[in-house]
Amino acid sequence: MSASIADENENTERLDDASKNEKMFTLKKWNAVAMWSWDVECDTCAICRVQVMDACLRCQAESKKDSYGKQDCVVVWGECNHSFHYCCMSLWVKQNNRCPLCQQEWSIQRMGK
Amino acid sequence: MSRHVSKIGDPSPLKRLDEPQISKKIRLEIEVDENMSDNSPDRNRRANFSNVNGVNRNLNIHSVKPTTKKLIIKNFKSEPKLPDDYNETTWKKLSSAVIAIQQSKPNEYLLEELYQAVGNMCSHKMASELYKNLFELIDAHVRSNIEKFKTETMDRLLFLKKMNDTWQSHCNQMIMIRGIFLCLDRTYVLQNPNISSIWDMGLDLFRKYFMLHTLVQTRVVEGLLMLIEQERQGDKVDRILLKSLLRMLTDLQIYNKAFEQKFLQSTERLYAAEGQRLMQELEVPEFLAHVDKRIHEENERVLHYLDSSTKYQLIHTVEKQLLSEHINNILQKGLDNLLEENRLHDLSLLYQLFSRVKNGLQELCHAFNAFIKKQGRTIVIDPEKDKTMVQELLDFKDAMDNIVASCFKKNEMFSNSLKEAFEHFINQRTNKPAELIAKFVDSKLRAGNKEATEEELERLLDKIMVLFRFIHGKDVFEAFYKKDLAKRLLVGKSASVDAEKSMLSKLKQECGGGFTSKLEGMFKDMELSKDINVAFKQHLNINTPELMPLDMTVNILTMGYWPTYLPMDVTLPAQMVKFQDIFKEFYLSKHNGRKLQWQPTLGHCVLKARFKAGQKELVVSLFQTLVILLFNESDEHGFEYIKAATNIEDGELRRTLQSLACGKARVLNKIPKGREIEDNDKFKFNNDFVNKLFRIKINQIQMKETTEEQKATEERVFQDRQYQIDAAIVRIMKMRKTLSHNLLISELLGQLKFPVKPSDLKKRIESLIDRDYMERDKDNSNQYNYVA
Repeated sequence: MSASIADENENTERLDDASKNEKMFTLKKWNAVAMWSWDVECDTCAICRVQVMDACLRCQAESKKDSYGKQDCVVVWGECNHSFHYCCMSLWVKQNNRCPLCQQEWSIQRMGK
Repeated sequence: MSRHVSKIGDPSPLKRLDEPQISKKIRLEIEVDENMSDNSPDRNRRANFSNVNGVNRNLNIHSVKPTTKKLIIKNFKSEPKLPDDYNETTWKKLSSAVIAIQQSKPNEYLLEELYQAVGNMCSHKMASELYKNLFELIDAHVRSNIEKFKTETMDRLLFLKKMNDTWQSHCNQMIMIRGIFLCLDRTYVLQNPNISSIWDMGLDLFRKYFMLHTLVQTRVVEGLLMLIEQERQGDKVDRILLKSLLRMLTDLQIYNKAFEQKFLQSTERLYAAEGQRLMQELEVPEFLAHVDKRIHEENERVLHYLDSSTKYQLIHTVEKQLLSEHINNILQKGLDNLLEENRLHDLSLLYQLFSRVKNGLQELCHAFNAFIKKQGRTIVIDPEKDKTMVQELLDFKDAMDNIVASCFKKNEMFSNSLKEAFEHFINQRTNKPAELIAKFVDSKLRAGNKEATEEELERLLDKIMVLFRFIHGKDVFEAFYKKDLAKRLLVGKSASVDAEKSMLSKLKQECGGGFTSKLEGMFKDMELSKDINVAFKQHLNINTPELMPLDMTVNILTMGYWPTYLPMDVTLPAQMVKFQDIFKEFYLSKHNGRKLQWQPTLGHCVLKARFKAGQKELVVSLFQTLVILLFNESDEHGFEYIKAATNIEDGELRRTLQSLACGKARVLNKIPKGREIEDNDKFKFNNDFVNKLFRIKINQIQMKETTEEQKATEERVFQDRQYQIDAAIVRIMKMRKTLSHNLLISELLGQLKFPVKPSDLKKRIESLIDRDYMERDKDNSNQYNYVA
């Protein structure tokens, strides 16, 4: 790690040098690609056993889709840092206001967006 | 007038004596006229009934007049008598007249006189004797006429002609005679139902002697058959003679017995031999044309001289001997060629002919099906032909569709069979056709493809969907299609958004929303990314205006929608890292609870480059960018250095260097020269780089990658299938609660839409038992129980 930083320092110096006698290559445009996913510990919702990246079972069955077919089924994190589908959890807490995994009192830490 | 007509039916002939002569004359004239006018044999037959008609007609007139004057008719005082020898003298007169007619000599008596004499005899109860006398006279004449033929040894044609003359004159004579003896027909014959009319009597006698002398009969029949045979061999024959003689047989009611059977037998013999011979000698199309010609000829024959009752049997015989017997031969020998060479005309003929015979179309359909399967298999099975497989399939489908539509009259049996055959052969090779179809679609939807207009593309996609429909492993298609779609979207290589959307909607229609939801998600991601990039630009302008100008765009992909890419860590220049971090921070501030993973394999850049010859722009991948940027620090780097500096995976780096130093556009020079990259190679900046273009795209070398990718894709499909199998097993078990192994397997095979091996199913069942979804029955190890 430290080696690469050193490399980069060297790079920038060299770049500066090159700009004096004009750099041979300059980056003009960059099209990067990144993949997003929910920042979760366990990628399966313990309530419906479906991956949190997919819509929960109930949503899949009901197919409530917007025009593109993306199901509006977000993830919710509790204070215990366990995560579930929001739909699954909101049904769960009606019966038992505890996290199904650690039995702690359930309170929402944050919601996926 | 009305009075004597009413007396025709009167049983007492005596009362007629008081009728005035004049009125009788009038009646004679009327009726003779009526009967003389029709002298064709055809009409004569009907004439037997004309007396009945006459009565009816006259009765109508009869009912007209009511009179006021009273007319009283009294009997004569003494009964009038005929002379005693009246019978003999009159018969003498009549018989001489009949003989004159039979010998075609002039008649010395007036017809009117003769007619009246007959009438008188009928009125005086001499009718039965008269009939008997007449019968004997005709009998003798007909006998002598026919017996003449017994001894004849002349040429057959002449014999036939003479026979025809005899028959014709017999008919004419009988018409004359009947005219004279009309009264006999109208009274005596009508009153005695078991006596035949004079005309029929003539026919009966003719038949009797004709049948009696079998030699004459067979000579006639054989003569006829000979003529027909001659005509079948292409000679011109006297059709009128044939027709007339056959009419004779019909009229004598021996057409069936004496002629038809023999005729059909000889037909059968002839065509059986001809069928065998020609099947050997001729090619199938010529044979078919010949059969068609024959059927046409026989139909003509029926039209021109045969009795129409023969038609069905005759045509049937020809069809049987020329077609039914050879169905298999024709199909084996000729169908494949006809189909291969797309000979529409011959195929239409084939269909038309085969539709005439029993089971013909079924057999044809069967052979058609087998041909498609065989031909299709050769297209699909050979890995050498993978490149052209889809195009060939499309062409093949077009050709077969065309044949069904234009030659097989759009017969549903055939179009269904066509579908079945395609579905069968296309799945003979698992996965590959699906993959190639997906790739074919990709090649058509990619921007470089400018050969088609939008409508053409649309039509093509429709055709591809037809092929797609046949494929069992639709998930394989989806996986490859998705991979290609990802490439098109990320590199911005899609030819037209409309075409993409249209293809998507077709897939959706075909397989339902579940199939396409992820593909749709990919489009959604692309649009969301556009919005994000606009927002990011504004963000950059406001917050960090001091940063160097770099046009950075990011495509944010939803994990799960897109194919999975190997995560790869590379070392970016600090400047790029900075941009990346700014973006990440920006994005996560907008989207709570997400994490981002950069995909360096998918990134690409535009570089400004300065060579001796001038400025250029290079369109390159991110990996290529990283390597090229290193040459800003020094003109020359070794492989090991580059590897350490960029941290690109070894194989990937070698390919990248190859693309830069060994490809078409060589920005770098490799030392020493050569195609393969070795560990000790050095690379030098190529300042002498020239290219006529300003903007140059340097392609990544991907050859090796595709086989890997392909395997990975297949692997992923297999993974997905396992979940589907699991789900299906659980679904079935949940419904049935307990089920034997075999029943479970067969139900699974029914539910799953892709080809699976029973051994794979077994593994999944084991796995589900391990995970406590189900259990083996304790008493019966072949039985499973569902565990709730």
